[in-house]
Amino acid sequence: MKKFLALVLSAVMVLSLAACGGSKNSDSDMAKIKDKGKLVVGITDFAPMDFQENGEWVGFDADMAKAFAESLGVEVEFVEIDWDNKIMELDSGSIDCVWNGMTLTDEVTAAMDCSNAYCNNAQIVIVPAEGSEKYTDTDSLAGLKFAVEAGSAGEKEVSALGLDYTPVKSQADTLTEVAAGTSDAAVIDSLMAAAMVGEGTGYENLTYTVGLNSEQYGVGFRKGSDLCAALNDFFKKSYEDGSMISCAEKYGVQAALIAQ
Amino acid sequence: MDIIIDQLPIVIKSLNIGFIQTLKLFFVTLIGAFPLGLIIAFGSMSRFLPLRYLTRFIVWIIRGTPLMLQMLIVYYFPGLVFHNNIWGSGEFGRFFAASVSFVINYACYFSEIYRGGIQGVPVGQEEAGLVLGMTKSQIFFKVTLLQMIKRIVPPISNEIITLVKDTSLARIIALQEIIWAGQAFMKGSQGISGQIWPLFFTAIYYLLFSGILTVLLSKLEKKLNYFR
Repeated sequence: MKKFLALVLSAVMVLSLAACGGSKNSDSDMAKIKDKGKLVVGITDFAPMDFQENGEWVGFDADMAKAFAESLGVEVEFVEIDWDNKIMELDSGSIDCVWNGMTLTDEVTAAMDCSNAYCNNAQIVIVPAEGSEKYTDTDSLAGLKFAVEAGSAGEKEVSALGLDYTPVKSQADTLTEVAAGTSDAAVIDSLMAAAMVGEGTGYENLTYTVGLNSEQYGVGFRKGSDLCAALNDFFKKSYEDGSMISCAEKYGVQAALIAQ
Repeated sequence: MDIIIDQLPIVIKSLNIGFIQTLKLFFVTLIGAFPLGLIIAFGSMSRFLPLRYLTRFIVWIIRGTPLMLQMLIVYYFPGLVFHNNIWGSGEFGRFFAASVSFVINYACYFSEIYRGGIQGVPVGQEEAGLVLGMTKSQIFFKVTLLQMIKRIVPPISNEIITLVKDTSLARIIALQEIIWAGQAFMKGSQGISGQIWPLFFTAIYYLLFSGILTVLLSKLEKKLNYFR
């Protein structure tokens, strides 16, 4: 009995080590996705870029990703990820690209190969609607306690301005902070603010005021991936034949679209 | 209040899908960890010293580090270091990686409880069995095992109830369990955005499920009382 157990235990350990071996380091991402027949896209639930409708992922980014995969002759698979772990997801190979209204910050461009920017965005300040009229420019924001998403473009802006802030887990959490009164103001993406704040949303008592900067969205690939150049070509082609613009119009982001 | 009533069907539907993931992870963990825990318990009681020290070392590592960290390592480490993502892409890979982490983690806790249960059976019974000419495995299965089960029910119940809530840790590798589903409505999902109540509402699922488990486990405990 005991010898048998010892044998089983050692077999389990050897097997678990063996499972780690046998890696085949294929150098071309293009060959890799054609090999497995699908492009795995890392996303979050982020209207109007990626959101679910009748169980299917749609949105400006989702539709463009589908068209891109089709142009490569592969299927597309959308995987919801934890946004904090996007670089780890990409590098570990559990996804092939991050395509979800990703702001091109220095951190992002340093860790990934990014496509050309395709959409404009801004970081804007969210405050309770009551008394919001006194915030007109960045100087008027001094003294407020901010909540920002950890590692976001918004965090960079407020720290550059020398404002007092607390980093929290997500952009949605920053709104909760302001609604609950635990912070005075939040900084989030303008595309998101338009969908989430004000009349007819869950945060009717909040409003958006000052814009802090303008920034751009891009798609992220693994370092050295040949998919990046392929996507830039695809963006160019679909911008010229008008399909990118009509897709943007479908989701109301045409004003923010960047010419390719 | 009206808004909540309008949103309730959508939220419940989405939470139900998340809760099914929670339940799957819960049952897979128990099914895997019960037998694996017993094997580890034997390893940590083995008279073959290297095996005993190795198992106790592993138990120390697993019990001494956060489950959340173990899950991150199990899921991302093979791809990041060996450039070979063994879990595959998509939801199943995440579920599989989470299950493996949970099974190993809970098996280590169970093994210590088993060991306590086995060593709590008076040694005189084993000696009596030997005198009667029973083999070691006969003694274990016919004398020790049932008494051990009776002894370990209360501490194992504790772990089982903890497991119900620990499943929520799997959201760190983006397994879409019920907390993830509830949190999705804070950011915006299926036309509902900026709502905090769905996240709080998940507590009802946890309470109901752990309530049912508490009743079942105390029934089991009563049933095993005739060993006294």
